[in-house]
Amino acid sequence: MRHVDYGEADRIVSLFTAEDGRQKGFARAARKSRKRFGSSLEPFSQVIVHWRTGRGSLWLLQETELLNSRTGLRTDLPRLALASYAVELVELLVEEAESHPLIFELLCCFLDYLAADGAVEVARLLFELRLVYLLGYIPHLLHCSECLKIFAAEPIRFDAARGGSLCLSCAGPSGFAIDLKTIGSLARTLNVNHRQFTDFKFGETTRHEAGRMLAQVLSLVLPRDPKSLKFLQQF
Amino acid sequence: MLGSLPSFARLTAELGKLPGVGSKTAARLAFHLLRASESDVTALAEALLEMKRKVGFCQRCFHVAEESFCRICRDPARDSRRLCIVQEPQDLLAIERSHAYSGLYHVLHGALSPLDGIGPEDLKLPQLWQRLEQEPLEEVLLATNFSVEGEATALYLAKLFKEKGVRVTRLAHGIPMGSDLEYIDTGTVQQAVAGRREL
Repeated sequence: MRHVDYGEADRIVSLFTAEDGRQKGFARAARKSRKRFGSSLEPFSQVIVHWRTGRGSLWLLQETELLNSRTGLRTDLPRLALASYAVELVELLVEEAESHPLIFELLCCFLDYLAADGAVEVARLLFELRLVYLLGYIPHLLHCSECLKIFAAEPIRFDAARGGSLCLSCAGPSGFAIDLKTIGSLARTLNVNHRQFTDFKFGETTRHEAGRMLAQVLSLVLPRDPKSLKFLQQF
Repeated sequence: MLGSLPSFARLTAELGKLPGVGSKTAARLAFHLLRASESDVTALAEALLEMKRKVGFCQRCFHVAEESFCRICRDPARDSRRLCIVQEPQDLLAIERSHAYSGLYHVLHGALSPLDGIGPEDLKLPQLWQRLEQEPLEEVLLATNFSVEGEATALYLAKLFKEKGVRVTRLAHGIPMGSDLEYIDTGTVQQAVAGRREL
């Protein structure tokens, strides 16, 4: 996910694994010798890591096999910025050493899609939605989060702090007005496999409202603003 | 153990702040200085102070310099139509050692890093745009590192320079000279194949 230089030639690497969740590894001489690790420890790369336990929780990296360096991300700044944002969201929301195989799959497929010139705005929406869903933070969508009334075709509001969608009589002035079609689109999207990023089309209203809704949900669950968000907004 | 030697402990602590110097190396260096002659230690202390007092950054390119402008910026023989952009002064020195480039430089003192929140405003970019207004350029050579941060910086600069109608080039990357393919890492081989050229 990222690395920081340590000492003269070593690196401490943040890894996200299918079985062991987020881990930190120590890569001795990673900056000096290209033979052992090469470019495999660069952010967004998918690798097979051979490691042994060291002192404390830090993995001692022995060797890596590069599976996919996702070089496509390095040719487009908005995609690179979005990939960084996604990685930071996972870092902030997933506890260290907590196994999350579905989120691992989600992140891998998301990065693959972006590296292959995928559409940035749709990819962000899908990633954020699925991430909050897989982590159990998905708000109430198709019914009022307070009176549990199932919505018919009617105006509704959304307030993440109050649990999600709200009927007008429960909502009062809180939250913001949201089209039920947007909520419906997002609910239907959650029925599609989290690995799929192609073949989605969202209208401008849906993209705008869903973006606002997800931003509100994320601001409630994130411990701090992602550093990469400011960068992403510039491009 | 060093509590009874406060001056020794202080030196060890200061040396330990240097990059790549851990506590053991700091203690080893301190013992070396303890055994060295007083004139050698004085020379080292004076050299440190003199460097700190005299060396700053070139007002034009932000390379290290003892005067307002560095040696390269003062050299009239350099090709002022070409500008090479590097991340750090050490990168500039690496290109100078190659004797393959005779233009001017601009040192950014960092690279864009979305994950660390380092944006364009954190680099020597306003100074670069100011230079552009005063110095007509034919070519900009982007020599930032081939890390994600270096590539992000190169992409960002390439877009802006192209909008200004300046020719943008990037350092080539691939298999190092004199090396055996079988020992090259997969990522480098992938890049080398993708960037292959006709002979």
